[in-house]
Amino acid sequence: MGDGLRTTKLYDWHVAQGAKMAAFGGYEMPLWYPAGPREEHLAVLTKVGIFDTSHMAVVLFSGSGGFDLLQLCFTKDLQRCIGKSNAPMSQGKCSYGAFLNDRGEVIDDSIVCQIGPDLYMAVVNAGMGGPISTHLTEHRGEGAVEITDLTDQLGKVDVQGTRAARIMLKLLVKPEQVFEGMPYFTFKGHFDAKSPYADTVRLTDGTPIILSRTGYTGEFGFEIFVASDCTTRLWEMILEAGKEFGTQPCGLAARDSLRTGATLPLSHQDIGSWPFVNNPWPFTLPYNADQTGFTKDFIGRGALESLTSPEYTYAFVGYDVRKVAVDEGNPVVLDRGNQQIGIVLSCVSEMGIGRHGNRIYSISSPDKPGGFVPRGLSCGFIKVKTKLGPGEVVLLRDARREIKAEIVRDIRPDRTVRSPMDLMLGS
Amino acid sequence: MKSIDELNLPEGCRYAEDHEWAKLEGDKVRVGLDDYAQDQLQAIVYVELPQVGDSFKKGEPFGVVESVKAVVDCYMPVGGEIIAVNTALVDSPQLVNESPYDEGWMIDIKPTDLTEMDTLYTRESIKEATLKRMEEEDQ
Repeated sequence: MGDGLRTTKLYDWHVAQGAKMAAFGGYEMPLWYPAGPREEHLAVLTKVGIFDTSHMAVVLFSGSGGFDLLQLCFTKDLQRCIGKSNAPMSQGKCSYGAFLNDRGEVIDDSIVCQIGPDLYMAVVNAGMGGPISTHLTEHRGEGAVEITDLTDQLGKVDVQGTRAARIMLKLLVKPEQVFEGMPYFTFKGHFDAKSPYADTVRLTDGTPIILSRTGYTGEFGFEIFVASDCTTRLWEMILEAGKEFGTQPCGLAARDSLRTGATLPLSHQDIGSWPFVNNPWPFTLPYNADQTGFTKDFIGRGALESLTSPEYTYAFVGYDVRKVAVDEGNPVVLDRGNQQIGIVLSCVSEMGIGRHGNRIYSISSPDKPGGFVPRGLSCGFIKVKTKLGPGEVVLLRDARREIKAEIVRDIRPDRTVRSPMDLMLGS
Repeated sequence: MKSIDELNLPEGCRYAEDHEWAKLEGDKVRVGLDDYAQDQLQAIVYVELPQVGDSFKKGEPFGVVESVKAVVDCYMPVGGEIIAVNTALVDSPQLVNESPYDEGWMIDIKPTDLTEMDTLYTRESIKEATLKRMEEEDQ
């Protein structure tokens, strides 16, 4: 370890397991374990994987001014952000959006969760606890809200894959009660033993946790928040309980390919220092029903409403597994007339999918053709200055090669993230 | 990642700076990626090979190996004509990981100048250079 990188409580465990370590967001994190990134990716699609995501940060907002501050700074309209019926934010619900500056650019993306009547937490990316706390403190005004950056005070472990519920079933006190009424993007519990909510979710050893039906893989599973000192114990409990399901520790490489396949952006790569609009994630902005305007005021709104030269972000899928190398130069996007129209933001090998006829299937597609073995497809995101539609084909070019890519609405089909808990408990 | 003592670097092969191995078999030179390279890349998912009959100089790229995480060029350890390529890698690129010196071989070269083999690392000297590289990466 060097270069002043921070580590999580699981650093020694990762190294002892022979993980390849790499710098990410100021932390030294596992890129993959000896099983390798392909096996790790496929384990999440077919069984279950666990990820140390303790490098991520949590910021707490407590007090009666929390709601108004988040309404001002977060892109979701908390009065109407839950579900298809546009219900208001309420206790136990999560909402995904972004914090923007006044130029409409992304400072960071976040899942905001309401823990109690005047208590919210924002889960942000590695190293972003400080900048987000500072940004919101600057906009607090006279609001009665205390902002606490919990960077490095919490551990976070993600259990992702169809077997995740069966593992947690073995590890929770009164698991049936915990799982009752727990759809996608809801959570229960508290990591703080002093909180009145701490009793809602406890591990069998008594440790209080937040169990959240969220993640970054597109597959069924949980994110678990726990006091930092309990992280290694939690990790080992999951591995032990998950042995019978083939639980695979997964590193950042698999996390990156899984999230790209799930058409989820990486902050500061697919969303960043450009206006946060015209992208595959319009649900993160507070649009009205006919998408003609916004239902609330928020920081960045003015900039988004007065763009002079808009750019468009799209998801793409290639025709085989070959990639353009985003990390060694700046691959460009060419239209059919060979005119350069933009840049490639992300490009990964999604090893769980393949083309068959005119369709893309996943290794876990229920209707996949007999004998289908995914050979992998390149996929990712591009940012271009012209509007494109699904099915249009562009060329991506780096110093080495040119690949064809199809613009798509969605990448990996048949994801399990919204699967009902009952179904997953039986899987 | 493998430690220096876990690396399989067979006698009888010579090694290039970028961790291609080269082995003289009769009057041809067989080439692949060594154990260090495949271990660093992990999960090789695609291999692009040259055409039989192509000629390249020592140090020129002859192919591309693609892992889940990276895309890397492979360079000619010695110059010459490509007289065979391992077509099994088209359907089974993972052979480079599973069997780097045997089933995962990449190309056979008819060398233009056999003395170029002498400029490559031996088993001992590549081990030393790799250890140095590992120590630098650890700092």
